[in-house]
Amino acid sequence: MSEQITTVEKEIPYTQVKKQSGAGKILKSLLRSKTGLVGFIIVFIVAFIAIFAPWLAPFDPGAMDVTKILKPPIWIDGSDPAHILGTDNLGRDILSRIIYGSRVSLLVGISAVALAGIIGLIVGLVAGFYGGIVDMILMRLVDSFLAIPNILFALVFLAVFGASVPTLIIVIGVTNWVAYARIVRSEALSIKEREFVKAARSIGVRNPLIIIRHILPNVISSFIVISTLSVASTIILEASLSFLGLGIQPPTISWGGILSDGRDYLATSWWLATLPGLAITITVLGIIFLGDWLRDILDPRSQGRG
Amino acid sequence: MKSNVILKVEDLHTYFRTSSGDVPSVNGVSFEIKEGETLAIVGESGSGKSVTSLSIMGLIEKPGEIRKGKILFGDVDLAKVSESQYRKLRGNDVAMIFQEPLTSLNPLFTVGNQISESIKLHQGLDKKQAKIKGIEMLKHVGIPRPEKVFDSYPHTLSGGMRQRVMIAIALSCQPKLLIADEPTTALDVTIQAQILDLMRKLSKEEHTAILLITHDLGVVAEMADRVAVMYCGQVVEFGDVYSIFDNPLHPYTQGLLDSTPKFFEENEVLTSIKGTVPTMDNMPKGCKFCPRCPLAFDKCMEAEPQLKQLDNGRQVRCWLIEQEEAIS
Amino acid sequence: MLKFIVKKLLEIVPVLLIISFIVFTLVFVAGDPVALMLPDDATQEDINNLREAMGLNDPFIVQYGNYMLGVLQGDFGDSFRYNTAALPLVLERLPATLELAAASMVIAILIAIPFGIWSATKRNTILDLFVTGTSVVAKAMPNFWLGIMLILIFSVTLGMLPVSGHGTWQHLILPAITLGTGIGAEMTRLVRSSMVDILNQEYVRTAKSKGINRFFVVYKHAFRNSLIPVITITALQISTLVGGALITETVFSWPGLGQLLIQAVNTRDMAIVQASVFVIAILVIVMNLIADMLYRVLDPRIKY
Repeated sequence: MSEQITTVEKEIPYTQVKKQSGAGKILKSLLRSKTGLVGFIIVFIVAFIAIFAPWLAPFDPGAMDVTKILKPPIWIDGSDPAHILGTDNLGRDILSRIIYGSRVSLLVGISAVALAGIIGLIVGLVAGFYGGIVDMILMRLVDSFLAIPNILFALVFLAVFGASVPTLIIVIGVTNWVAYARIVRSEALSIKEREFVKAARSIGVRNPLIIIRHILPNVISSFIVISTLSVASTIILEASLSFLGLGIQPPTISWGGILSDGRDYLATSWWLATLPGLAITITVLGIIFLGDWLRDILDPRSQGRG
Repeated sequence: MKSNVILKVEDLHTYFRTSSGDVPSVNGVSFEIKEGETLAIVGESGSGKSVTSLSIMGLIEKPGEIRKGKILFGDVDLAKVSESQYRKLRGNDVAMIFQEPLTSLNPLFTVGNQISESIKLHQGLDKKQAKIKGIEMLKHVGIPRPEKVFDSYPHTLSGGMRQRVMIAIALSCQPKLLIADEPTTALDVTIQAQILDLMRKLSKEEHTAILLITHDLGVVAEMADRVAVMYCGQVVEFGDVYSIFDNPLHPYTQGLLDSTPKFFEENEVLTSIKGTVPTMDNMPKGCKFCPRCPLAFDKCMEAEPQLKQLDNGRQVRCWLIEQEEAIS
Repeated sequence: MLKFIVKKLLEIVPVLLIISFIVFTLVFVAGDPVALMLPDDATQEDINNLREAMGLNDPFIVQYGNYMLGVLQGDFGDSFRYNTAALPLVLERLPATLELAAASMVIAILIAIPFGIWSATKRNTILDLFVTGTSVVAKAMPNFWLGIMLILIFSVTLGMLPVSGHGTWQHLILPAITLGTGIGAEMTRLVRSSMVDILNQEYVRTAKSKGINRFFVVYKHAFRNSLIPVITITALQISTLVGGALITETVFSWPGLGQLLIQAVNTRDMAIVQASVFVIAILVIVMNLIADMLYRVLDPRIKY
């Protein structure tokens, strides 16, 4: 950037941030960022609900009650006071189903992202460190994954292996590693050329040690940011696949599945399709807020951007 | 020297709004420029010199604003005119060139497009006439093969050429005042001299007044008639170029001169001013230069000196001068 | 320019090879389709005969080679559900998908450019907050849910637009909005941050210092520059757009590639799945190529 702009910037004095201990600093920053705080609270609540679902849910989410089918939420006439968010076409309690649905969303979201991160780390390290033909082939692989929508790859995998929670986690993990691989590779490429790594190698230090000491610390903040934001997109992907009937299969409860059930009753019972969608949107929004905040505090390059 | 005053800045205050309150970037600056004259504003980065020039151009944007003071251009107070009136002046009567000729030109448009833009706007010429005039201007600033350069994109030109293009654009409407913000800082030394020569020659020919913003005293010595030294948003010393260089009165000016290499002096010892410009949240209570001043004494820490008028139009903001006068 | 296009087209070859290899391997691993193709009362002998006839007893590499020979001639095998060649079936559905994708892109651009610029020029005002806030929410909404909500509001409740189907412009509105909103939200954020960046550039200040009015400063000097990063990153969104189209088609029963593909996945009609993946990959790559060319046209600094 040019000196001109820096001059002007310098003339707008910035208050120096006082040095604080790590945790205190993060807490302060979280309290200052409104969206970050909102995101944190949402994610915290969703995680809490997912963990304590059996205690929080008023009903067994699978229990049908044919005497109480398609009851609206309690703020609408004709509701049943026991079912706060109403019931579905089989008389199952919507609130309980949404509470249980959070488990699958978070489980798939987090595990798939962890898997993607591990694959990305390995591919990136191998490509960056070994270079040459290995790098070329792996980068073409990255291009190939970029040329195909995630959901399409996921569909092909599901067509082959059939739908289940573990398949879904593997499928999403295997289709989402590209972003991590690119970051790790470029970091590995730049670190490989530095003197201290050459020196370390010349005295026989093994690659894994170099990786742990020098590469991981440099990519960890990007990893945290990308992972957080990928959990958001993974939750949407899982919900989409479940909605299409190719993801989570009943009786396992997922938000996408509840939504898909509710779709046939749009004309009479709008809440069936609306409420689980709202749950997805709010959860994803919370994660995006949290991810944006993390990017602001962890990635120095993005700081000061509007 | 003629005494037609082109621009008169009176008690200019430009503030920037920050999370920790309003901060003065320019804090009570006054000066005037006469026709054909070159006034240099000198100071380190952070001294408010660039903000002063942007205030005159009306290019201060939020969170900054001109809080107080007048900028009289002829009869018009630029601090008060409407944006549409301002636009008629900008590029026409007042023009500006910037430090970084690479980033000051839009990379996606040809040189011709950018020079014609101003000509068409202010002189009401059509495209063909503007092209003729534009090529003429490019020739005027010493660009070889101006027809070819007219159709080139900025990235194909060298730094010196780009700055010539900037000057051609700035002068295309014969402005009365040219503001040059560090015009040569980003250029090679040999090119610097050429650009300065060009500016001097053109200002002579057209009687254009120049407000030169720089941190480089070498450029000042070469170009300026009068000099204002700025520190922390204030003018600390003002005078004609000879007396400033021969007999700097303010310790800050002395420090700046001591840190600039001179010709013809052997065994010269270069000293630098210790410390850095204070940030606005830890501004000293008394004289703002006091923490870095080798000659500071008790009073400097307690109260801020005023800008004092001396003979032959010089002004200084320093307790030492006040004291000397009190003694004599 | 020609050289550049040829170079880019050559880069596609390994990508398509890798994709075909992955997909073929997956299908190979999945086991043979023979059981699905024969009636339930078929004898083991029938199965063996069919396997031999289809070359399914050959080693993997031979099967892959035969498969690739077919692919080069546009033969992805027959769909056992439709009993005809897979590729024509897929290509037949392509126009509807392209129609939806194009309409959505138009909507996304119509949202993103004005709102992105508007919010960048009025940074930190209520309007800016509204635009950035809305775009985050739009990004957080799964697009199938948005589609259903639009159906609920405009078709079921207000009765203004058809619930699903294809044919008239009324049919196109809701699917295009559904798909365009997510992309539009992402693009709005991009246009905004790119414009904020560009508006701080010195050439914008130079333009202002020439006395050019605000409109021209923003639209001539800043906007064109801001498009360069926007196009680059939008190109990366193309695969999201196509992926979104697959889901949106299902929500609105839009007779495109997505609908066909999802049926095929449900019935394990692998010939159609393979042909679709190929067609979609080529589609994404070609759209990326167009974006790449567009961006070179806009920026004179880039040489071919």
